[in-house]
Amino acid sequence: MEAQKYVWDGAIPLQIHLHESQILAPRIGYLPLLASLLKPYFSSTLPPGVDTIWFDYNGLPLKWYIPTGVLFDLLCAEPERPWNLTVHFRGYPGTVLIPCEGEDSVKWSYINSLKEAAYIMNGNCKNVMNMSQSDQLELWHSVMNGNLETYQRVSSKLKLATVEDEHTSLCSSKSQQGFGETDLAGQVKTGRVPVRLYVWSVSEDFDDLEDMPKVDSWEKISYINRPVEIHKEDKCFTLHDALKILVPEFFSNDLMNVKSAGVDFEDALRIPSEDVSSDKVVEDHVQNAYEHREACSISSSAEIKLIRIQGIEPKLEIPFSWVVNNLMNPDYFLHICVCVKVPQQNST
Amino acid sequence: MAAESPSSVRKVVVHLRATGDAPILKQAKFKILGSDKFAKVIDFLRRQLHRDTLFVYVNSAFSPNPDELVIDLYNNFGFDGKLVVNYACSMAWG
Repeated sequence: MEAQKYVWDGAIPLQIHLHESQILAPRIGYLPLLASLLKPYFSSTLPPGVDTIWFDYNGLPLKWYIPTGVLFDLLCAEPERPWNLTVHFRGYPGTVLIPCEGEDSVKWSYINSLKEAAYIMNGNCKNVMNMSQSDQLELWHSVMNGNLETYQRVSSKLKLATVEDEHTSLCSSKSQQGFGETDLAGQVKTGRVPVRLYVWSVSEDFDDLEDMPKVDSWEKISYINRPVEIHKEDKCFTLHDALKILVPEFFSNDLMNVKSAGVDFEDALRIPSEDVSSDKVVEDHVQNAYEHREACSISSSAEIKLIRIQGIEPKLEIPFSWVVNNLMNPDYFLHICVCVKVPQQNST
Repeated sequence: MAAESPSSVRKVVVHLRATGDAPILKQAKFKILGSDKFAKVIDFLRRQLHRDTLFVYVNSAFSPNPDELVIDLYNNFGFDGKLVVNYACSMAWG
């Protein structure tokens, strides 16, 4: 009799994918906001209870506070169109994802990101805190609905410091809104650009994007928040310059780069490399570099494989100001995805 | 494993400050690993105060995402060698 009870109590967890329908998810939006679009398809099949929507890609629960476009750029090395996600309405993975109670949670996360950005740029977030309720709501709705016109109109009221474009600063020598200067409202513009960096470290080698290993855990991704300070005197501050400030540890191999004229053996040996475990390794690497006369990076340090911003892989020589003004998200943060190959860690 | 920078092994001093009617902690200053997430500070507060609903802010200004690293918050918003974290039982700064 007991066996029968076991049989009747047995159950198989099922996951049902949404087959034919495709929905367009705005890059600058957030996944939980799609709930209203998706629920009609599932409402009749869900058992009673509270719905907390969440998504996974290849088994990895997706962090809902990361803009949809960033998730796609980060997790889909070879862009997949359509992007195949699994939607869940039960079994929220509380150990992996922070709680989300629908639109309010997403709005709270957005407004706080905006405040954080304002704080980084202005040293305080008074302008966001002093927004009228109706302005705040209008701003949020413009993000939710992807209404750029409304967003620009409302956000311009915030008078958040924007980065001067290389063009404008070179053309008008009388430009007053410089970095570090005080504007009429008495707020100091620090010339600091808020950046959120997502660094995915891989230890395997690969040639094609499709050979890239899949991200199976958030442990493999570093979530770094570092602002980039642009100095007014720096007329030609490029994306490359910005990245060297953001992740200097991945640019140490620049010192070891061999130009076509060859490397000075003595100099190369003197430059410290944090990942080199013995002098012999340095020697070998330098010898190899010396033999390859074109520029190359010594494999003992980390190597940047991919940089993606808003689905673009920008040339590193692009002026950073252009990148910021054109590619930042509605929260005034520039979200950058970087894939780095790190050397295999030797087990001791 | 994500590449570690030297700053990640550093400890950060966090100063926990009560706001509004929130109970004041006997010990308000703590050291936490820079490589830890802000979620650790939030969880610590929840356990110490026996409250699930807490609003936690930095510099009385904004609520950081729980996944943000303490070292980043300290580098960006810390002063006088510490990170000031305010906590309230109801929304203090909307």
